[in-house]
Amino acid sequence: MKFNYFHLMPWTDIEETDQDWPVANKRFVPDRATALYETYIDTMVYAEECGFDWIGCNEHHFSPYGLMSNCNLIGTVLIQRTRRARIAMFGNLVPLLNPIRVAEEYAMLDVMSGGRLIAGFMRGIPHEYVAYNIAPSESWERLEEASELILKAWTEPEPFGWEGKHYKYRAVSIWPRPIQQPHPPILMSASSPESARFAARHRAKMGMVMLTDLEAAKNCIRIYRETAREHGWEPGVDDILVGAHTCVAEDDEAARRHLGGGLDYFYHVLFGGPRTAQRLVIQKTRFYRDEANRKTLGARLAALRRTTIEERIDKGMVLCGTPDRVIEQVRHLHAELGHGVMNINMKIGNISDAAVRRSMKLWGEHVAPAVRDL
Amino acid sequence: MSFQENTVALSSGPLAYHVAGDGPPVIHMHAASGFRATAALEALAQSFRIYAPVTPGFDGTATHDGVASMEALARLEAEFADTVIGETADVIGHSFGGWRATWYTVLHPQKVGQLVLECPAGFREEGVGGLSPDPEELQRRLYAHPEKLPPETKPESMVTRNREMLAHYHGGKAKDDALVDRLNEIEALTLILHGTKDGAIPISSPRLLKRLIPRAFLIYVYDAAHAIEVDQPEYFTGLVGDFLTRGEAFLVNPGTDDRAA
Repeated sequence: MKFNYFHLMPWTDIEETDQDWPVANKRFVPDRATALYETYIDTMVYAEECGFDWIGCNEHHFSPYGLMSNCNLIGTVLIQRTRRARIAMFGNLVPLLNPIRVAEEYAMLDVMSGGRLIAGFMRGIPHEYVAYNIAPSESWERLEEASELILKAWTEPEPFGWEGKHYKYRAVSIWPRPIQQPHPPILMSASSPESARFAARHRAKMGMVMLTDLEAAKNCIRIYRETAREHGWEPGVDDILVGAHTCVAEDDEAARRHLGGGLDYFYHVLFGGPRTAQRLVIQKTRFYRDEANRKTLGARLAALRRTTIEERIDKGMVLCGTPDRVIEQVRHLHAELGHGVMNINMKIGNISDAAVRRSMKLWGEHVAPAVRDL
Repeated sequence: MSFQENTVALSSGPLAYHVAGDGPPVIHMHAASGFRATAALEALAQSFRIYAPVTPGFDGTATHDGVASMEALARLEAEFADTVIGETADVIGHSFGGWRATWYTVLHPQKVGQLVLECPAGFREEGVGGLSPDPEELQRRLYAHPEKLPPETKPESMVTRNREMLAHYHGGKAKDDALVDRLNEIEALTLILHGTKDGAIPISSPRLLKRLIPRAFLIYVYDAAHAIEVDQPEYFTGLVGDFLTRGEAFLVNPGTDDRAA
């Protein structure tokens, strides 16, 4: 099993936010953010020392939920300060961006890192479409077209043009091209049946960054595998990433206290504004083509907010406790899902950075060696 | 703009052709299915005068004695251009027509303004792509959006006969090595179009053309198979019209105010 260290880079210096979207930035303090970026980047670099195989960046907009509005910028810093770990992008939100720019920046990252890039082609969560003024109903077809265009930009040996519905270029020939051939591995979100099918059709790794329901996750993995076979390929275990909020501590009670407090802050303070925009997008647009999917997601998000830390542990949705307890939880998850990459997010909400580093150290010294051979 | 059918007497026999529109002359060379007045061509005829000669033996016409090769067809089409058009014309060739258009440009460069090769045949490796004998597979290779296909107006026997005529002209070969050897002679500004879902022409084919034709542009048409005019008529008309109007400057986005400049 491989391990990805994922970091949202949350803003943690507020006690409450209103539910408006976008979240007013008058409470943002630039000097404080300088210190936060330094801490967060140091933590992500430390992940390599703790035995993590990948370090995960992501992209979010207009909210204290995450300060990584451009994951490629953070990726560039990580590349310079690490030597072994792959840099896994849980951005770029391809439908919102210029696909040629994405192709170029990913190629730069791949070349500069000596071929350590895992390139995310993400659709994004609903509120990002409000932020960048892109019609949510176009998200799938933009993702589809942009993904094909980026692959073409990476692999086409001669200058070419593109005539499509959302993108038109008369002449493309990017410098540099990626070092990984024919192109870097692709990672796509697959947290719904619809997205699992999409990832499989595009021969991408599937990512479920945060487990919300074990049965739903099993279903997505089954659909992903079946769709891949229908399209003539067999995913390996490394193609399936499953994530959980994680806290490892010397005793179960401390771990529960840290993670419970962080989750509470995450859902009630950080995610207020995004949730408002999310609700609007889900209710008022065709962001989800599948009506059942739309209803399921809405209900799941509402339930998630109310779920206690004990319920989350019992349902296998988080990894929380002593190293021995977490080893047991990872083994259980693996037995249920058969995934090959575990996505670990430890900086949940306002959990202290000291507790996060302690958790990482315990993971590296105790948990990872015990579950690596799964 | 509706196409009108005419016939012209040439040295080897009568040649049927279709014509529509007003503007600079454009010769359109049809694919293996024979001439089709697609909505894309009719839209293009708003800005160009389009001449579409019917290859002898296609669409119920008779073959011409002594015209039984791609080079001979190019010579026949040159005689057609001299007789009917009388001036340099841009050329569009689709599939089998793209093959002819390439020979035409190689053998008669002075008659060609700009060249558009729409998924041209004649440049693929043996055993890759081509026209499948299985009707369902054939449709998959040709159309990404078969629902856009207008109702068939030609009898089945004519469609079959049209396809059989291919061997009469090129012997059924997939790749025309003699033509490949001469691609670097083409001086005309050339636009190569390839549908991202084309099942008849493998991607190696447009890449070969792009590599060997000196002043060529390759454009991938998204969500189109082999019949780009059917699958994405608006993309085809906009792109080809812009290329034929602005030449090399078509690379530059004209915005909304600069197109007339």
